[in-house]
Amino acid sequence: MSPRNPCAVNCVQRPFASDIREMNIAVCIKQVADTEAKLDLDSTGKQVLEDGLAWIINPHDESAIEAALQLSNAHKGNVTLIALGPPRVENAIRQGLAMGADRATHLVTDTMPHDPHVVARALVPLLASANFDLVLTGQVAIDGAGQQVPQRLAVELGWPCVTAVEHLVVDGLSVTARRPVDQGEEVYRLSLPAVIGINRRLGEPRYPSFRGIMQAKKKPVEARQVSLSDSSITVERLHLPVTKSSGQIVPFSPETSAHIAELLRQEAKVI
Amino acid sequence: MSPILVIVEMQRGGIRAASREAFTVAEAIAQAEGKSWGTLTLGQRDTGRIDTSQGVQETDTALSALNPAVCASAVAKAAVGAEYLLMTHTALGADLVGRVAQHLNVPLASDCVDFEIRGTDIVFTRSLYGGKVLCDIRVNATPVLATFRPRAVAPPAEGQMLGLQELLDIPEAETGMQVESVPAAVRERLDVTEAAIVVSGGRGMQGPKNWRILEELANALGPRATLACSRPVSDDGWRPRSEHVGQTGRAIAPDLYVAVGISGAIQHVAGIARSKFILAINKDPNAPIFKVADYGIVGNLFEVVPSLTKAIRALKNRNE
Repeated sequence: MSPRNPCAVNCVQRPFASDIREMNIAVCIKQVADTEAKLDLDSTGKQVLEDGLAWIINPHDESAIEAALQLSNAHKGNVTLIALGPPRVENAIRQGLAMGADRATHLVTDTMPHDPHVVARALVPLLASANFDLVLTGQVAIDGAGQQVPQRLAVELGWPCVTAVEHLVVDGLSVTARRPVDQGEEVYRLSLPAVIGINRRLGEPRYPSFRGIMQAKKKPVEARQVSLSDSSITVERLHLPVTKSSGQIVPFSPETSAHIAELLRQEAKVI
Repeated sequence: MSPILVIVEMQRGGIRAASREAFTVAEAIAQAEGKSWGTLTLGQRDTGRIDTSQGVQETDTALSALNPAVCASAVAKAAVGAEYLLMTHTALGADLVGRVAQHLNVPLASDCVDFEIRGTDIVFTRSLYGGKVLCDIRVNATPVLATFRPRAVAPPAEGQMLGLQELLDIPEAETGMQVESVPAAVRERLDVTEAAIVVSGGRGMQGPKNWRILEELANALGPRATLACSRPVSDDGWRPRSEHVGQTGRAIAPDLYVAVGISGAIQHVAGIARSKFILAINKDPNAPIFKVADYGIVGNLFEVVPSLTKAIRALKNRNE
């Protein structure tokens, strides 16, 4: 189980103060449609057609699992995956367990909620009742792209939180988290327990090994039925973006450049 | 305080350009509902000042220097009684408004790419699956919280007088987290989400040392241009990951997207589909990027790009 690109991984390990006990890390993961997928809408026009779709762990969540595994390894900790959604989500859980997570809780619902407010409400009771030191999530789910769950969890739990983190150091009972903002980088120090939103840029996740895949089959997955609260967001309709027909495609010659430059000025009006 | 509030982000002593885009949404709602709108600037009271030329109250405190947890509870308190709370979906905006939404226990229409006022209702359009699907939603809560993707809405004209201004004093408070350091450096180029012109390179560039020709093309296109790249390029470490555009990177909507040596995988196209114009340069006439391009040049990019840069410079010189 080696990272795909060890240099790109940004978790630095220093002692966790409670070497007396294990560091308990939770990673909230979401199963999303494969990025290769071409999407279509169902007959209601309010949902994406799921038939035939391939499913993956949200890429940012995979990096959150990678960060958790590295921290767990350094601090003799343990990693619990938490996934919300219909039965198909169990595949994502097994993939995460195959990467090396120790156990998982599947909050089983009939459908995948589209509103992060509803997701946070469903996750909070479990997170509040377990003894976690650190809760990691991906920075954003590439399907719904709400970018809200870590902040919402933190407010509900009353824990500190930093999102979009690309570098993480656990030292004693605090965490130093770095994240890029539009003009540079911010550095935060947080006391534990804390919620951290991890960006894919933290590092490429490891591939599950064959041994990991075999072991994952035996790892404990607790399935709990949860009923979702109502969302205050109404989905009016989904629609597919209008696809452009291709424009003027020409083979290169010295005159082409002048012609395209003219179009950029006259038509696109950008120069 | 106004019933429609826009949270303003300060940058280098002025209002961040992207922040002004949300003013357009506020103005449209205010006109439709016959109400006033105002800005909410976060900062420390003693640094606040009024700059009438920009029409909003300013502070020298950049939002990044403030603790987001403290800002969020202050904004949530200020927003009690408000009907709308709007902000541009920058890195800091996304972080802040998500917290505010939970304090107020309301939903958030985040990262909207469009909006439409229908009678007394507003329909927000969000972009799902990195732009492969669009979703129209209504928010049935008070206040209505929404953030807008940079460049999704045009900002109002400079100098246009804008509603009421409020400076929200951010107190010191114990939150279990401290800001250790904030950005010091000023970036050379615009952020990919905010640039009007994005020049982007793919694997076809063959290596990071060849980026000089893209930099020169961006320079020729002017100060509103910036650089980006495809996923394999950032995965291989040729360019910083912050430049990666696509479904797992950043979604952009520039006036012009120039794709150089990028084949146009579905994930990449999803992230750039909202560009107004796309110019593709690729040696393979069957590259999928040409299917979405407004303009395409089929040829060796190492010949095409310098030639195009020269042509753009010549055109600009001719007219200046």
